[in-house]
Amino acid sequence: MEKRMLFVFILLNLLLALVLPAQEVLPKNWNGEKIKGVRFVPYATYQGNPFFNDSFVPGKIELTDGTIIGALQLKYSSYQDELIYYNSDISTQIVIDKMSLRGFSLADENGVQHRFKLQYISHSLPEYRFFELLSDGDISLWVYRKVLLLTSPIYGEAGKEKNLSYQEAYNYYLYNKEKGYELIRISKGSLLSKCDPSNQKLARKILRRNKVNIRDEKSFVKAWSLVKENGVNLSF
Amino acid sequence: MVKKLLTVLLLLGSLLCKAQNKEGFALFTDRDLYTSGETLLIKVYAPVDEPSGIVNVDLFNSKGNLVSAVYLEMKNHQANGFIHLADSLSSGSYLVRTTTRTSLTQTVKELFVSNRFTGMTESTVFKRPEVNGPQVETTFTALQIEGTSGVYKNREKGHATVHLPLEFLSQIDGNLLVGITPVTPEYHAMNLVAATKPKFYRETSNEGIIISGTITDADTEKPFENGLVYLTIPDSLPEFKYYTTGVNGRFYFQITNRYGKIPVVLQCSDKEKKRLLKISLTPADNIFSSLPPGESHAFSPEFRKIVAKKVESLNFCKIFGLNELAMQPFPPHKQDDRLFYGIPNRVVRPKQFIDLPNFEEISRELLPQVKFRTYNRNPSLQLFNFQRNRYFNDQPLVLLNGIPVTYLNVIKEMGTTQIDRIDICQSERYFGDLGFSGVVAIYSTNGDYTRLNESDELIKLSLEAIQPDAELTAPPEHASKMPDLRQVLLWKPSLKPEKTLELNFQTSDIKGNYRIFLSGKSVNGSIFYKEQLFEVK
Repeated sequence: MEKRMLFVFILLNLLLALVLPAQEVLPKNWNGEKIKGVRFVPYATYQGNPFFNDSFVPGKIELTDGTIIGALQLKYSSYQDELIYYNSDISTQIVIDKMSLRGFSLADENGVQHRFKLQYISHSLPEYRFFELLSDGDISLWVYRKVLLLTSPIYGEAGKEKNLSYQEAYNYYLYNKEKGYELIRISKGSLLSKCDPSNQKLARKILRRNKVNIRDEKSFVKAWSLVKENGVNLSF
Repeated sequence: MVKKLLTVLLLLGSLLCKAQNKEGFALFTDRDLYTSGETLLIKVYAPVDEPSGIVNVDLFNSKGNLVSAVYLEMKNHQANGFIHLADSLSSGSYLVRTTTRTSLTQTVKELFVSNRFTGMTESTVFKRPEVNGPQVETTFTALQIEGTSGVYKNREKGHATVHLPLEFLSQIDGNLLVGITPVTPEYHAMNLVAATKPKFYRETSNEGIIISGTITDADTEKPFENGLVYLTIPDSLPEFKYYTTGVNGRFYFQITNRYGKIPVVLQCSDKEKKRLLKISLTPADNIFSSLPPGESHAFSPEFRKIVAKKVESLNFCKIFGLNELAMQPFPPHKQDDRLFYGIPNRVVRPKQFIDLPNFEEISRELLPQVKFRTYNRNPSLQLFNFQRNRYFNDQPLVLLNGIPVTYLNVIKEMGTTQIDRIDICQSERYFGDLGFSGVVAIYSTNGDYTRLNESDELIKLSLEAIQPDAELTAPPEHASKMPDLRQVLLWKPSLKPEKTLELNFQTSDIKGNYRIFLSGKSVNGSIFYKEQLFEVK
């Protein structure tokens, strides 16, 4: 019995050996897109955090030609508005060329997905920035997660007594194709001001019924979504 | 247990056997008989399950040597193209072969080409491979070509109508080929669908041309692992790719969205810079390994007369500079419109400054923080690292029109007149897994890179990428005093099928037998064909 099985096994292998050598097997990802960038040079250490995510988290990037590269270890620097990836093959942290990207997404430490897109903003200092999309639609809600290096009291945490610190200075924007970007504050008043005057009462009612008290980004996004879902027309 | 194993074995066997008997390509050419210097027109119908978007059409001589190769873009499993038959082709039988890189079959068609300078050779006997097994085609009786007369005069306008029955129209897959071409009753080309060994697994279905080869150690001639292979398509916006070889020393590159003739430079180096390497491209496969053996045939005096007439008419065409084909402009090349080494920190155009005789002078006068020096005739280059505020320890990546330069002697003598632009990146750049201690990219005037010599480690290719579209030139005016020596009166390889097709043509100054033919592919994969003969007296 065992001999027969061995015979069949050998026959099978012989048959495969006859067929396979004719065809070349290309290595996995042999023609994959190459990521372009420069070596990441660590920032000076001050109080606060210059990064959106402290450690590298899994994410994917979308290149300008539409190619999506996944399974990357990503870190977004809010301070320099740049995306860093860890290339484990060469053990190097690389800042990806901003202009080679259309956007990226990553999951934070809590597993929440964040979707960033490279957007051109023509305000006081026209430039390309990574904006996070908070709510999509005809009028979309975006946040520019800027961190600034600002002066601060000399005395701080032990070992970090310097008069500079990384401080969050997030900017929230509304966007539509016709008008472009417009800054918006995270408050109930600013949300209601974007509703039609005839609908403002209804918007208040929706927020009250759902017990939404706008205090931070999370509650603002929730309020924004609720208002939209309930058919309140928003404009700016 | 044994029964189960045997069942698996039989199943596998049946699957493999089935794979080898796949439907072949259907290959149509405008004629069977050609003269060197003419253009061979091609139409290919690919099997419906063919995953590749590119079809290879190769021309082999009777010795099995590859004479010419073109890559055609498939649209809806059909491709049109042409091969220019070089003036230097000797008289004899030639084989046109159609495959893709993943196909299990190849379609081969035999043609006869006579040299336009020597005509038929002294001997009347030519080797011709015996091919049996006709191309998959069926004559469809419902197809009618009407309105033609059996005899036409020279330069007479003609008209034909093709009726496609409605029930037939719905069965047509893609476009039709319609042509009016000369026929030579004395010579009939043969077709053969033969099995072939696919070059790559069918999973490699991306569209593009694959360039493959092997890196070997120059001393031991054994395949070299961890060899770095660069491919550059030099340009003002160069395309750059790299590949790291495995144990078998093989490398592969895919070129996409490139049309017409393009320059390609391939080079290799040892990552650790210890060994000298040799790069070689995969040779063309032996076509005769899968074909039946050849046979000798004698040509009649009538056939020799026909060939002599064709040679004469072609020589007239060449004297009057008449071209058969009008090329279509290349589609715009879609590629990353950014340099692979990123946005340079500095761009210098030496021509805007005083004339400097060599690169050392240019670096001293125009390129601050770029130290190009020659000690004991050995040039060296150092670049200042902006990020670290110190000079890099290693030599930066030096590029000439996008081609990596290993030996700096190549650029040493380049002065202001030879350089159009210098891009400098003063940070540690990365491209995939490749790291560079800065980049100095030199772009020469007129895109010239002849300073880079071919060697064991560097190959320069002039690659015929995907063939651009071409169409037959319109016939001259009826009253024109210029000779009209067109062999092919009509060639429409992508005619949209309609209930009635109206075909207008004009005969040329060449007398002889012609055929109006129509071919296409039905949704079930079979090829249909209809022809009608007429004579020009």
